[in-house]
Amino acid sequence: MRNVLSIVLPAALAVGFTLGTARMLVSAETQAPTRVTVTGEVVDTWCSISQIMYAEGTAHHQCAIWCAVGGIPVSIRDKDGNHYMVLRLESEADNVATPRLITIQSHSVTVDGDLYERDGVKYLFVDKVADDKGIVNMTHAQYGVVPFGE
Amino acid sequence: MTPSHVAFRAEVLTALAILSVLAGALTLSRPCTAADSWGLPNEKIVVLKGTVVDIACHLKGDCPANCGDGKRQLGLVTDDGKLRPVVKGGTDFAGAHRDLVSSCGKQIEADGLLIENPAMTVFFAQKLRASPQAAWQDTNAFLSHWKARYGETKEWMRDDPAVREKLAITGVLGIPGLAPPKP
Repeated sequence: MRNVLSIVLPAALAVGFTLGTARMLVSAETQAPTRVTVTGEVVDTWCSISQIMYAEGTAHHQCAIWCAVGGIPVSIRDKDGNHYMVLRLESEADNVATPRLITIQSHSVTVDGDLYERDGVKYLFVDKVADDKGIVNMTHAQYGVVPFGE
Repeated sequence: MTPSHVAFRAEVLTALAILSVLAGALTLSRPCTAADSWGLPNEKIVVLKGTVVDIACHLKGDCPANCGDGKRQLGLVTDDGKLRPVVKGGTDFAGAHRDLVSSCGKQIEADGLLIENPAMTVFFAQKLRASPQAAWQDTNAFLSHWKARYGETKEWMRDDPAVREKLAITGVLGIPGLAPPKP
């Protein structure tokens, strides 16, 4: 009996630990996503949310490219100031500094996708960029080039 | 001094002693914070304790090995169950994904700034450690990784091949042919 317990008990503990760890990695509380269409400007999440500098349009484009290449998340900011953090853009499986995320920085877009809201953040998985108007927010005449003026 | 004054004084001293002990215990039980304030709106200096997760995996069950090996946005599921996206690390203009990925699925402590903007709550990790006994490590893995790949640099973002390629086509304003205003 003791031999059986000495085998079964550690095995049960190992299985329990593994399942517990997996549960932490994939949320047990994940809600079903909401289908949404979002229209707004693609922005650098850090500069826009922290308000550390002016973070819109042509004036901030270079900085937005730096931050996207540096792996800072890209968001879409709509006309009401809502921010949607983009965790997938069409067919790209990754979401750090992908070619498409870099390409659409500062563009005004309309996208369709799945929205998950959790703890004060709107996370967006974009299925399709329905419209891409390119960069239309001409802010450089007023703000120059942010942050270093060059 | 009357007997009632003596009794009152004793009560006050006892209360102060109890408060001192409680304050000391509270100080010892709190993690030592080292993060620098940046004076940002909605900023709060905090130490988060939690498990490192690939956010897309956590929300949607789309889970590549090892939290995407540095190609996925990472966050912390804190001990109180909150999901906090870590959007910024110690390298200028860069995230903390390279610092966090080695702790995929593990418990860590992260010292930094929680930015509770009504539009979005994000975390800027300045220092990480694996346990309360471990030393804090600066979140500069992005720059280390960059230098290992491309060499020494004063400003990685001006020397980065992807940045240079993109801006050579579009210019710093993002529109070919559009020049920055003269100072």
